[in-house]
Amino acid sequence: MLSFRRSTALPLVAALSLVLAGCSSETDNGESNGGEPIDGGTLTFATGDAEPTCLDPHVGGNMPQQIAGIHVTESLFTMTEEGEIEPWLAESGEMSEDGMTWTFTLKEDVEFTDGTPFDAEAVKANVEHLQDPATESSTGYLALEHVESVEPVGAHTAVFHMTEPDAALMESFAQTWLAMQSPTAMERGMEENCESPVGTGPFIVSEWSKQHSITYTRNENYNSAPATADHEGPAYLETLEIRFMPDATSRYAALQAGEVDVIDSAQPDTISQARASDGPIKDLLGVRSGASTRLELNTGGNTFSDPLVRQAFMHASDIETGVETLFFGTVERSTSMVASSTPHGTSHDDGAFDCDQEIANELLDEAGWEMGEDGIRTKDGERLTVRIPVSTHQSIPAEQSLIEQIQAQSREVGFDVTIDPMDLASWYAAAGAWEFDAITAPYGKSSPDVMRIIFHSDGIEPAPSGYHANNINVRNDELDALLEQANQTTDEAERADLYAQAQQIIVDGAYVMPLYDWQTRVLYSEDVQGLRLETNLSTPWFADAWINE
Amino acid sequence: MTRVAKATGLRLGGFILVLWAVATIVFLAMKAIPGDEVDAILGPGSNASDEAVALAIETHGLNKPLVIQYLIQLKSIFTLDWGISFSLDDPVIDVIAEQLPATLTLAFAALGLAWALALVMALISVFGRFPWRIISMIEVVSAALPHFALAIVLIVFFSTWLGVLPPVSTRDPISIVLPALTLALPTAGFLGQVMRESMMDAMEAPFAVSARARGETTIGLFRRHLLRHAILPAISLAGWAFGSLMSGAVVVEEVFARQGIGKTLLSAVGVRDMPLVIGILMVIAAVYCFVTIVVDLVEAAVDPRVGKAA
Repeated sequence: MLSFRRSTALPLVAALSLVLAGCSSETDNGESNGGEPIDGGTLTFATGDAEPTCLDPHVGGNMPQQIAGIHVTESLFTMTEEGEIEPWLAESGEMSEDGMTWTFTLKEDVEFTDGTPFDAEAVKANVEHLQDPATESSTGYLALEHVESVEPVGAHTAVFHMTEPDAALMESFAQTWLAMQSPTAMERGMEENCESPVGTGPFIVSEWSKQHSITYTRNENYNSAPATADHEGPAYLETLEIRFMPDATSRYAALQAGEVDVIDSAQPDTISQARASDGPIKDLLGVRSGASTRLELNTGGNTFSDPLVRQAFMHASDIETGVETLFFGTVERSTSMVASSTPHGTSHDDGAFDCDQEIANELLDEAGWEMGEDGIRTKDGERLTVRIPVSTHQSIPAEQSLIEQIQAQSREVGFDVTIDPMDLASWYAAAGAWEFDAITAPYGKSSPDVMRIIFHSDGIEPAPSGYHANNINVRNDELDALLEQANQTTDEAERADLYAQAQQIIVDGAYVMPLYDWQTRVLYSEDVQGLRLETNLSTPWFADAWINE
Repeated sequence: MTRVAKATGLRLGGFILVLWAVATIVFLAMKAIPGDEVDAILGPGSNASDEAVALAIETHGLNKPLVIQYLIQLKSIFTLDWGISFSLDDPVIDVIAEQLPATLTLAFAALGLAWALALVMALISVFGRFPWRIISMIEVVSAALPHFALAIVLIVFFSTWLGVLPPVSTRDPISIVLPALTLALPTAGFLGQVMRESMMDAMEAPFAVSARARGETTIGLFRRHLLRHAILPAISLAGWAFGSLMSGAVVVEEVFARQGIGKTLLSAVGVRDMPLVIGILMVIAAVYCFVTIVVDLVEAAVDPRVGKAA
């Protein structure tokens, strides 16, 4: 209603200001979201994500590197919110009939900021860098596991030879973890490249002050904006600074005090506060592609080996209300295995995840768990226990509260839920050792192929690092085949059908309890204009932003 | 001469003993925490290839028996070759050299501020008309405040409400005020109590009474006699205070987004970056030992009795 009133008032104000033009020539472009972009200035972005240990996104491959790296190193493709692939450093990509070769056509006249030309040789060097064990890549390494070699055919055409078809290859190349870096710079070795990776991006790393900030300066020759960008050419901002502020309260206070212009990982209550006050702080929410935030049930344990018990657990809690109240209406309850921004995800609103404690009780009775005197069910002397390890680094307080609600509500039907808060390393150890009955584990990937990674039985075997991506511990040949097939199919309709079948198997098995979309939650000062989330995993994108001062 | 050499030798021996104990306890503690060091090296949860994992294990010597790892650790510490941080891939020495100045600046600023605040509180309660019991209560409360809660209160009050001080560290030196104040207040509360007691005792001591009888003014009495009595306990507690400020820095640096070894230590523990954790704790222990020694020397200079007793 407020915005309606304002928009009707605008013409009036405009007319008045015309009359008064003789008195004042100043115009107020604060509300109109724009005016002419202003060149120059410094924008400070405070992130609550961890500080990366290496700025080269090929090394390892996690969210902090994506957040810091996307301004410097650009990807071959980008992806729209609808999941469509759009050009970035590559103009197009085409898979052969048999899926055994991919041909990428690259943009011309693009240079890395050290003067090295961006061409097919550079793409080859990047793939080889990612595949080299010495690089210690994990995300990029896995994404390229079906690539045998890259053959430069002419300066701007790169042909990929595959060991087996991979329909998700372009989607993989839409991630910063597989972004293009200067071959000359990569040859300097890991240490130097971690300090100052060289890409084609709108900004250049000028200083990394550890445990504090990264300062970037504008790339004056920038000419390779993604198809999703609002403008071509160099960024408006002269300097971009990323500050690391792990504490949510001080991060928000810093934004309020004007010490920083943009913050992420904002708490739901502050977002709702900013919206309600319609004040100088605006919000920007985006969905991170990949898996949705979900509770995965470990079928290998004692409790959830029985499908009836899993179903009972799904019906025991009112997730809808919990998400609504704890997240202050900033995110909706999800009934999908993958984020709403990830193509080929399907919502399952047919009752599988509805709260109904009566059904939950019946199912537990049927499964032979009898209600004990203390309100906890038992069977053959065993109590109905559920262990949930929670990483305090990954789960924001609202998410931890949601899990506590699940704990309280499922107790009403006889589950004894234990929540173990732990640091990230201990959490990975517990996950790796299967020391859980249910767990929430984020997994970002801008492709529905994320389902193959987290649900295929190959993911049960721990990776050499000790962590397994598949936490449900189900070996289902039909599911495996569907996920493999979907990854090798180019026909989108057929692919959608295969993924729909795979998701139905997961839902029917009651293996996973979807909660809500994994989000990027940004708050920013109204002085910041042109800010958007680059859909490549929903990361703040500053090349189109400027500051009104 | 030999007496001095002997005393110095004892000090040095104690110093090394402390460092050895710290190294051992940290080594055992880090090994006892669940979690895999390979995760720390490759980034937690990474799905790295066999080759990458093998390479990492080999590079960091994790395939060797525990005792050997311990001995390697000890050797590297005492030869000042502190190894490479798993998570940052930088030499531990470099990381510490980069982060220590910020923490020391913060700790000294906080110590100075704590002394000043404590002295003011002690003076007000001894000479002021303000009832000393109320001051004493303020002291007890502030001494009991946890750094984390205090930091949030100060941020809300000085930044969000009054808007006079930045809530996070910036390039402006003024941004050290809130973090330093957060560390200083609890310490000042404690020091203030001790200083006041000591000054009140001195006021009633025969020398003060006789000085007054000779017609000494209040200011003269304070300057010539009481100040020394107030400062002595503050000095002897400085070692303790400094240690508590260093540990408080872990929380304060995190909340105020300040650079420093406290913040680095926190993230290093989170990913089980053993060389870095041990390195930082060794430095903190060494700084603590060093400050204690300096305190002993200063104390002897201020109060001749201390030197003779030892």
